[in-house]
Amino acid sequence: MANRLSVFGGAVVVMFLALTGPGLAQTISYADAVTVLADDCGADIKKYCRGLNLGNNEIRNCLEQNQAKVSPTCTSTLASVVVSIQRRLEAQASVFKVCAGRAKQLCKGVVGEVHILQCLVKTERIDGEKCNQAITDAGWR
Amino acid sequence: MFVRGFRYGLTLAFMLAAGAAGAQQLSDKQLIASLGQVTQVAPVVDVGLLIQEVNANVGQGVANLPNWSQLASLAQLAVEIDFENDSIAIEPASYRTIGLIADALHDPRLRHYKFLVVGHTNATGKAEHNLELSMKRANAIMAALTTTFSVPASHLIAIGVGQEMPLDATNPKAAANRRVQLINLGVAN
Repeated sequence: MANRLSVFGGAVVVMFLALTGPGLAQTISYADAVTVLADDCGADIKKYCRGLNLGNNEIRNCLEQNQAKVSPTCTSTLASVVVSIQRRLEAQASVFKVCAGRAKQLCKGVVGEVHILQCLVKTERIDGEKCNQAITDAGWR
Repeated sequence: MFVRGFRYGLTLAFMLAAGAAGAQQLSDKQLIASLGQVTQVAPVVDVGLLIQEVNANVGQGVANLPNWSQLASLAQLAVEIDFENDSIAIEPASYRTIGLIADALHDPRLRHYKFLVVGHTNATGKAEHNLELSMKRANAIMAALTTTFSVPASHLIAIGVGQEMPLDATNPKAAANRRVQLINLGVAN
């Protein structure tokens, strides 16, 4: 995944998100997300954001503030990376709530998040759309 | 040109393998597997005492002191993260490593644990400066994890140990000594 992404850069992410539509957008791992960011925005970060950090939105703010100067590829990558990270964070935080009903029904007696998740991955066919989407977006298949 | 980066290693063997080939890539699976090896008899770590010990022993090493030495028995992993020269800004080339750590820390197998983030430098430059820089860099890593990737701040403690606990003690200026350790402190309250 990482290699593919680094070859094609953010265009792949952008296309992927565009093709699947806003409601069904897929997520990529945090590692892949920031790898695309580094690949497509690394030069601009070095040029315009020296001394700034990944944390506290410093890089994001800097790239957005310098949008007129940074490469269009970087700008679109940044936007899609932010969306992907946000969507994955939300999915990871909500998976066990979204899937609670199915887990109770399909994974009786299964204790602990790790095991419940293993169970739900096996019952994918009958987990329902929302639960399946949450597990997929969380990156936990 | 001092202290360009931290180097994290799972074990010395893993680091040597990764460093020699330059091809073996760290994965979130490795992170999850090594950081999840929690034992029942894990010692309770007092971070205040770690800070006291290192502050009282700048330039003299801490590996054999009571609080620092007990960290060796905890589930841990070390990787390399590069920074701009004499700065706390993480190099874009190391964003992926931060992302891998974020992937691992959010995984159901690890997300209820608390971790110590320990920044190390090699022995190039002044020991006091190295201690301070390692602390700031550990804080920068923690900030990236807790803000960009929303890892709960209560699940991480950042601490710097400068050049005081080299991986390669016979060669204190070795690049391998620059690293950040992630250490599992047990279930977060």
